[in-house]
Amino acid sequence: MDFVNSHLLSLILFFPACSALVMLFLPKDEAKLLRWFAFVASLIPLALSVYLWIQFKPDATGYQFQEQYTWYAAIGSSLHLGVDGLSLTMVLLTTLLTPLALLASFSVSDRIKPYLMLFLFLETGMLGVFMAIDLLIFFVFWEIGLVPMYFLINQWGSANRNYASLKFMIYTMGGSLGLLLGIQLLGALFGTFDLAAITANWTSAQGSLLGFPIATVKDVVFWAFVIAFAIKVPIWPFHTWLPDAHTEAPTAGSMLLAGVLLKLGAYGFLRLVLPLYPDQAKAYAPALALLATAAIVFGAFASFAQKDFKRLVAYSSVNHMGFVVLGIAAAAMAAGTADARIAMNGAILQMFNHGLSAAGMFFLVGVIYERTHTRNLDEFGGLFPLVPIYGGILIFTSMASLGLPGLNGFVSEFLVVRGSYPLLTPYTAISMLGLLFTGAYILKGISKVLHGPMNEHWAHGEHKLTEINTREIIVMTPLMALILVTGIWPAWILDVINKAVMHLF
Amino acid sequence: MIPLSWYLILSAALFSIGLFGVLSRKNAVAILLGIELMLNAVNINLVSFWRYGDVSQMAGQVFAIIVFAVAASEVAVGLALVISVYRRRNTVIADELDLMKW
Amino acid sequence: MTTETLIWLIPLPPILAFFLIVLFTNRNKALSHTVAIGAALLSWLGAMIVFVRAIGTPDLGKTPFASFINWIPTADTWLKIGVQIDPFGAVTLFFVAWTVLMIFLYSVGYHNYGQPAGDHDHPGLPPHGATDEHGHQVPSVEPMYSRFFAFISLFAFGMFTLVVSDNLLTLFAGWEIMGLCSYLLIGFWYAKPSARAAAVKAFMTTRVGDVFMLLGIAFLYSATGSLSYRDIFQAQVLHTLASVPTPIFGLSAAGLIGLLLFIGTIGKSAQFPLHVWLPDAMEGPTPVSAMIHAATMVSAGVYMIIRMFPLISLDPKTMTVIAFIGTFTAIFAATIAVAQNDIKRVLAYSTISQLGFMVAALGTGAYVAAAFHLVTHAFFKALLFLGSGSVIHGMEHGVLHTGDHNVDPQNMFNMGGLRKKMPITFWTFLIGGFALSGFPLLTAGFWSKDEIFSGAFNNGHLIVFITLAVAAFLTAFYTMRQITLTFLGGPRTKEAEHAHETPWTMIAPLVVLAIFAIGYGWVGIPQDFLGLHLNPSWFHEFVGSTLAVMPAESPFSWIVFGTSLVVSLGGLFFGWLAYRNVSVPEQDKLQIPLLKNKYYFDELYNVVFIKPSYWFAETFVYQWVDKGLIDGVLHLFGKAANGIGSIIRNYFDLPVINRFFGDGTAHVTQWVGKNLRPIQSGRIQQYMLVSLIVLLAIAGLLYYLLVIV
Repeated sequence: MDFVNSHLLSLILFFPACSALVMLFLPKDEAKLLRWFAFVASLIPLALSVYLWIQFKPDATGYQFQEQYTWYAAIGSSLHLGVDGLSLTMVLLTTLLTPLALLASFSVSDRIKPYLMLFLFLETGMLGVFMAIDLLIFFVFWEIGLVPMYFLINQWGSANRNYASLKFMIYTMGGSLGLLLGIQLLGALFGTFDLAAITANWTSAQGSLLGFPIATVKDVVFWAFVIAFAIKVPIWPFHTWLPDAHTEAPTAGSMLLAGVLLKLGAYGFLRLVLPLYPDQAKAYAPALALLATAAIVFGAFASFAQKDFKRLVAYSSVNHMGFVVLGIAAAAMAAGTADARIAMNGAILQMFNHGLSAAGMFFLVGVIYERTHTRNLDEFGGLFPLVPIYGGILIFTSMASLGLPGLNGFVSEFLVVRGSYPLLTPYTAISMLGLLFTGAYILKGISKVLHGPMNEHWAHGEHKLTEINTREIIVMTPLMALILVTGIWPAWILDVINKAVMHLF
Repeated sequence: MIPLSWYLILSAALFSIGLFGVLSRKNAVAILLGIELMLNAVNINLVSFWRYGDVSQMAGQVFAIIVFAVAASEVAVGLALVISVYRRRNTVIADELDLMKW
Repeated sequence: MTTETLIWLIPLPPILAFFLIVLFTNRNKALSHTVAIGAALLSWLGAMIVFVRAIGTPDLGKTPFASFINWIPTADTWLKIGVQIDPFGAVTLFFVAWTVLMIFLYSVGYHNYGQPAGDHDHPGLPPHGATDEHGHQVPSVEPMYSRFFAFISLFAFGMFTLVVSDNLLTLFAGWEIMGLCSYLLIGFWYAKPSARAAAVKAFMTTRVGDVFMLLGIAFLYSATGSLSYRDIFQAQVLHTLASVPTPIFGLSAAGLIGLLLFIGTIGKSAQFPLHVWLPDAMEGPTPVSAMIHAATMVSAGVYMIIRMFPLISLDPKTMTVIAFIGTFTAIFAATIAVAQNDIKRVLAYSTISQLGFMVAALGTGAYVAAAFHLVTHAFFKALLFLGSGSVIHGMEHGVLHTGDHNVDPQNMFNMGGLRKKMPITFWTFLIGGFALSGFPLLTAGFWSKDEIFSGAFNNGHLIVFITLAVAAFLTAFYTMRQITLTFLGGPRTKEAEHAHETPWTMIAPLVVLAIFAIGYGWVGIPQDFLGLHLNPSWFHEFVGSTLAVMPAESPFSWIVFGTSLVVSLGGLFFGWLAYRNVSVPEQDKLQIPLLKNKYYFDELYNVVFIKPSYWFAETFVYQWVDKGLIDGVLHLFGKAANGIGSIIRNYFDLPVINRFFGDGTAHVTQWVGKNLRPIQSGRIQQYMLVSLIVLLAIAGLLYYLLVIV
C-alpha cells in the first residue's frame, strides 16, 4: 500500500500505456478478450483516481502526491508529477471517460486491437498533461495525446475522415509549434523546465536571451502559449477544426475529444497563462471575452444551422467552451477578487460538466448512428415510440447540455455569468443570446429526432430501429448520475475547485 | 650445425609448392593436399625458430602441435565437404563450383 | 416535525414520484397514477399543515418560517439556498397545492383510465377510441398514461420548489423545470406536427424572458452578494440598489434589475410581446392547460414580480413599464379572445388578459390586489379549463358515437345546449365564468378585480383604470359568449346531442374548484366596503404583512364599485344578447380577420425574428463565416503551403536533388558496378591468385617505400 501511495500518480499515468503494451501480445482475433482487457485496464486508473480524490487534501496549498524522477538532467528537465485541485478534477474526468469510451467501443469490430491500444495510449497522453509540473513533460504528453487521436479519426472515422484528421493534426500541430518554442525559450531563460521553479523565479529573472531583453522573451512566450491553447480549446475563430474532427471521429473518439481533449487548452490557460502573465492576461481579457462571446453566440447559431446531428452536437461544444473562456477572461480581468474567483469556479466546473454532457451527447448520437447509418436530422423524425428509453436518455442529456437547473450545466453557466457580469457586463449580456439559441439547437435536435410524425422507414423490416441496449445504458448511467448529482449538490466538486482557485489566484 | 636459413629455404620452397598446388590444381582434394603442404611448411618454420631461439620457451612447439590439430580437423572437415559436394553436384572440380558468381 | 422541515419536504414527494414512475412503474397505469396522486396528496397535506400553522402564527411577515443551507462555495463565502414561507408564500402554497391535487385527480378521468386500449392508437397521438365487446365505439385510454403522470409530477415538483424557495436561484430552478415540463406536456402528443411546433415555440419564447431574468439574477447577485429575499429586502440594501445609477435608460440598479426580472415574467406569464406561445400551448392535453397554462406556471411569472415587489417598486420608471405592459396585455388579449371559436383558445387569451390585470395591478403599486387576483384567478381559471376539458370530453364522446371525425370537438359553434347533457359541468363552468367576469358580490373574481380597480383608481392611474375597465367589460362579454355558445340554446350538431357527462374523477375537481371560485373571494372583502365598517379584510391583513410596511387598504369609492358592477353585468348581458341566436360563425359580427388572426403577431414574428434567425444561423454564421471566411482562410493557408511545396519540388527537389544528386549518384554507382562485375567469377582459385598478386604488389610497394627509400 505504501508503494501505491507513494507512486499513485505514476501508476495512474502509466498503467494505461503499459496495458496497451501488454495487449500487443494478445491474439488479435480474440475480440472479446481484447475488449474486456482494455476495459478492465482502464478501470484501474479510475479506481486509483477515486482513491486519489479521497486522499487529496483540498485545504493544502501547492501540488500534492508529487513524484520526481530523473529524465533529462542535462537540460534541466525531470519527470515531475503532481496534482492540485484544478488538475485533480481533470484527472478524474479523464479516468472516468476513458472506460466509458472503451465500453462504448464494444460495438467496433474493425481492427480492434490497435483501436483499443490507441485509446489507452491516448489516456496516458491526456493524463500526463494534467499531471505534469515540468514544461517539457507537459509538451511531450500534449503531443502524445495528439497522435492516437489522429489515427483514430483517420482510420476509424466516417466518410470525410481524411480531410478532418489532417485538419485536426495540422491545426493542432501548428499550435504546438508555438508551444514548443515558448517552452524552449523559458527553458533556456531559466535553465530548468520545472514549472514550480520557473514560477518561483519568474519575477526575479535577470539578463537577456539571444540579445533580446527578458520582457520581450516573455511576451513572445505569452503569445505562443495563447495561440497554442486557443486552438486547442478552441476559441473562436480557431474553432473550425472541431466540428470536422468531432463529426468524423468514431463515437468513442468524439467522446474523448469533446470530453477531455478540449479541456487541455483551457487547462493550459489556467495552469500557465494566467498564473505567469497576470498583467498581459488582464490587458487582453476584454479581447478574450469578445472572442468567447463570439464563440458562445456564433457557436449556438452554427449549431442551430446544422442538418447533421453529430455536427450539431459538435458545434454545441464551441458554444459551451465559450463559457469556459468567458469565465477565464473574467478571472483574468480581476484576479484575486471574489467575482473573478466565482467566474473561475464556473469555468472549471463548466470544463468538468461539458466533459460529462458532451461525451453523453456524442455517445447518444453514436447509438442512433450505429443503428440507422445516417446522421441527417431530416431522415429521422418521430422515433420516440420506437425507442422510448433512448428518447428519455436523450432528452435528459440534452437538457443537461441546455443548462436546465437541477442538472450540472446550469450551475457552471450561472457561476460564469455571475462572475463575469460585473466585470464584463456587455459581453455577458450579449452571450445571453447564445444561451437563448442553445435552447433552439437542443430543441431542434430533440424534435427532429424524437418528435413529429414517425418516419415509417425505421418502424418495420430490416431497418427497424432497435432500443438502446444494456451495455449502452451502462455507459450512460455514470454520466447521468454525475450530471444529476452535480446539478443538485455541486459542492462535492466545487469545494475542491474553489479551494484550488483560492490558492492559485 | 646446419644454419637456420636452410630450414627456412626448405620451408619457403615447401610453402610455394603448396601454394602452387592450391592455385593450379582443379581437383578439390588436390587443393586440400596443397593446403596441408603449406601448413607443414609453417610447422617447419615454427619448430626451427624455436630450436634456434630460446629453447626454454615452448611456444614454437606448442604452436606446431596446434597446427597439427587444426590441419587434422581441417582435412576431416574439408574431405567431408568435398564428399558432400560430390554427392550433390557430382564433381570435385573447383572451377565448376561457382555458386557465388554474380 | 418542525414547520421548516416540513417545508423542505413539500416538493419531495412529486420528484420521488417522477423517478418512481420513470424507472419502475411506467408499465403499470394504475400504479403510476396511484404513485403520482399519492405524492400530490402528501405535498398537499404538507402544504395544508404549513398553511394552517402560517395563519396561526402572529407576525409571520416579520419572522417567516425559514431555513437554509450552504449550497455553492463562492470564493470565501457560500451561496445559500433554503426555504421560506411568509404570508404571501403561504397563500400561494395553498392554491398551488389545491389546484395541483385537483388536476392530478382530473387527469385520471381525462385520459380515460379504465377504458380499453385503442384499436389504432399510437403513442404520441391522442387516443382515437376503441370498439368494445358490443361493437360500440368507446373512448380509449391514453397510450402514454404513465408518462403523463410522470411529467405532471415533475412539474408539481418545480412549482412547489418555486413557491417554497427563499431565494431567486432555486426559484429560477423551479421556473425552468416547469418550463421543461411545459415543453414536454405541450408536446405530449409529439407526433402531431402542430404540437411539436407549439412545444418548441413555448419553450423558446419563454426562454427569451428567462435569459434576461438570468442576467437580472446575476446582476442582483453581484450587486448584493446574495440572492435570498431575506438579505435583499433589507432596508439598507434596497436603499443602495435604488441609489446606484446604471447607464441604461437612466434606471437605478434596482430599476434595471427589476426590469430584467420583469422580462422573465413577460415570457413566463405570456405578457405582450411574448404572449404568442400561450394560445398555441393549448395543443397539450387539457389538464396541462389548466395546471400549467392557467393556474400555476404562468402564475409563477406574476408570483415572482410580486415577490420582488420591494425591489421593483423602488424605481418609478420600471413600475410604469410594468403597469403599461400589464394594462396593454389585458385589453389586447381580451380583444382577441372575443373572436376565437376554439373553447380553449378563448380561455388562453382570457388567461393572458387576466395575467395582464395582475401585472397592471402590481405596476400601479397594488401589491395585495395583485396577489389576491393571482389566487382567485388560479382557482377559477383552473376550473374553467377543466370545465372546458370536460366539455371537450363530452363532445368527443359524441364524435365517437356518430363516427364523424371531421367535427372539431373544441369548436364552440359545434356545441350548444350542453346545459342539459352535462349539468354539473355547466353549473361549475357558469360559476367559473361568472368569477372570471367579476359577477358582483358572489364570486371571488369580483372582489379581486374590484381591488385592482380601486388600487389603480386610488393610486392615480386613471388611464390604467379606464383601460382595465374596458378589458373587464370585454372579459365578461366573451365569457358570456362562450357560455351561450357552449351551453345555452339547443344542440347545433349531432355530436352535441350525444354528448354526455364525464366520470366522477373529472367532476369532483370541478366542484371543489367551484367552491373556491366563490368562497375564496370572501376572505378579501374590504373593510369599508359600501361604507360599512366590516371586519378588516383577512387577505389584506395577512398578505400585506409580508411587506416591511403594511400597505394601506384602498378607501372605498362608489366610482370604482359602480364601474365594477357595470362592466361585469353589462358584459355578461351583452354577451348573452349578442350570441343567444347565433348558430354559425357567419352570423358572428366579431369574426374580424385582424382579431381572428391575433393581430398577425405570429406572422410578424416569423418575418422579423424567426426567418432572420434561420438566415443568420444557416447562411451567415455557418456558410459565410465558418465555411467561407474562416475555413476559406485556412484552406488558403493550405493552398499556399501546397503551392510553396510544389515550387520547391518542381524547381529544386526534382532537378537538383533528385536528378543531379540522387539519380546522378545512382548512375555512377551503377556504371562502376557493371564494369566491375566480371571480377566476381565465383572461382576461389582465381580470387586467391588475385589476392596473391595484390599481396605481392603491396609487399613490393612497402619494401620499396620502407627499405629502399
